[in-house]
Amino acid sequence: MSKSNSPSLTNDSVSIYKWKLLFPLILILFVILVFPLGYSLWLAFHDFSIIDPDSNKFVGNAQFQKVLTNPMYWTVMKNTFLFVLIAVSFEVILGVLIALALSKQRILKNFTRAVILAPMFVTPIAVGLMFRFILNNQLGFIPAFLAKFNISIDFFGSNYTLLTLALIDVWQWTPFIILMILSGLESLPQDPFEAAYVEGASKLTVFLTITLPLLKPVLLVAILIRSLDALKVFEYVYAITKGGPGTSTETLQFYIHKLGFGYYRLSEAAAVSWTVVVIIMIGLIIMLKSPKKEST
Amino acid sequence: MNSYQKETLLLKMVRILLIWISILTVLIPFIWVILSSFKSPSDLSDATNVFFTPILNNWTNVFNSGIPINFINSFIVAFITILISLIVGLPAAYSISKFKTGGNFTKLGILIAEVVPSATLVVPIFLASYFLGINGSILPVIFAHLTFILPIITWFLIGFFDAVPNSLEEQALIDGCTRFGAFIKIIIPQVLPGVGAASIFGFVLSWNDMFYALILGGKDTQTLPMAIAGYNTFRGVQLGEMSVAILVSAIPTIILSFFIQKRLIKMMGGGAIKE
Repeated sequence: MSKSNSPSLTNDSVSIYKWKLLFPLILILFVILVFPLGYSLWLAFHDFSIIDPDSNKFVGNAQFQKVLTNPMYWTVMKNTFLFVLIAVSFEVILGVLIALALSKQRILKNFTRAVILAPMFVTPIAVGLMFRFILNNQLGFIPAFLAKFNISIDFFGSNYTLLTLALIDVWQWTPFIILMILSGLESLPQDPFEAAYVEGASKLTVFLTITLPLLKPVLLVAILIRSLDALKVFEYVYAITKGGPGTSTETLQFYIHKLGFGYYRLSEAAAVSWTVVVIIMIGLIIMLKSPKKEST
Repeated sequence: MNSYQKETLLLKMVRILLIWISILTVLIPFIWVILSSFKSPSDLSDATNVFFTPILNNWTNVFNSGIPINFINSFIVAFITILISLIVGLPAAYSISKFKTGGNFTKLGILIAEVVPSATLVVPIFLASYFLGINGSILPVIFAHLTFILPIITWFLIGFFDAVPNSLEEQALIDGCTRFGAFIKIIIPQVLPGVGAASIFGFVLSWNDMFYALILGGKDTQTLPMAIAGYNTFRGVQLGEMSVAILVSAIPTIILSFFIQKRLIKMMGGGAIKE
């Protein structure tokens, strides 16, 4: 980094300089990500006990066998995927519709957006407790309000609990989809829309044949981020149901937390978490492959 | 508005109705919790009652409890996390944006770092801090928060640096600046508004996390989400205080969000479209 550096980007000192700038990031990512991942993988193939950390022994894939033959694991998987499917589907449909509505809004534009996007900035545990309170049969205002019309729904009864939790997720995270779609809409080119107007295409045709295909990359990324995040649902379960009634709302993150830090079966928890890594990697590959195929 | 953007009356009414329903769906729960925070235990049992004598007991009780300390803990954790993220992320993002250091591999690495599930990381971070004797302090919580905040902040910063013209730096070099000097004095001021928005976004992410704080934090270092979870006893007496706790945690992030929403819309778009 001497003063005699020429502005050219291809001299030797630059090739060292650029790595010097990047090095701290690589170092920290190594410490906080690569090392924990390696440690976690090591745990998953050992029988580790925190009371007697030296007595661990290599058990091969025994932990994974134990996990995969446990019916509880499959219940947890079913619950989690049902949760993700319900929550993300509603979020995408509502999010696209609301974003389209907001993009045409002119009066009080910033205020409206600020209010509608607010839920995604609230800590999920607060959202969980808020809805536990609001939907509570004795003390909540929604059941009290419905009771005036003689409607009685037990939001946390065994049939509806997972659905209720998914709808809480929809309340909090539809704003994220709205945010992504709004940002996509703002960077859309105008030419195709003008062309369509000249040709006299209907609103619906324009939306289906121009807007939606142009939004597809943003939408895919939004769905991907949201699905990965919904997979980690924890606070609502922790605040509201603790996995119940029965096992109807036991989800992955909660199950791993219980295995690891309720029972201290840390190796088993690590093994379960690695099955999640595999699922995420498969999901990523599928989602990132599909749009690429079209562009080539 | 261009002529092709004209909408029919029916479509306009549907649009306005949808926006109003959305606004009410967001606001009503908050309004009800605000009302509940001023209710006495006997008023709390009548959920739909909006005419009651407001009391301040819930608010004073919460502020005389440990909540102010939890508030400070949350602030310290978020602040240090953001500080480290910027010190490390700014030069790295600049290097990636300008010199394409490491090519696509670096960018891919940052993306992969962002999607590693917290459930996989929490067990080793917990054990490592246990063996190092730092479990229960704020250190493991900060480490854990870095795992998801550092990559996303770096990702946003790359986008900001991409928008800075090369000529600025070249001019500074000709004027006799060192490369690093030009980076600090010329380039960073160009991206400051973006850095502010990305920092606030990261701050909110750290502030809102409970999973890591629950497992890695200790009794003396509880962050705000943990303290709120502590009000999770459904005795009527505590519901007013719980409402206060919910508001105390939610209001700062909602206010912060107002400052960054416009920019966030741009940031998200930039990231996604580059894919």
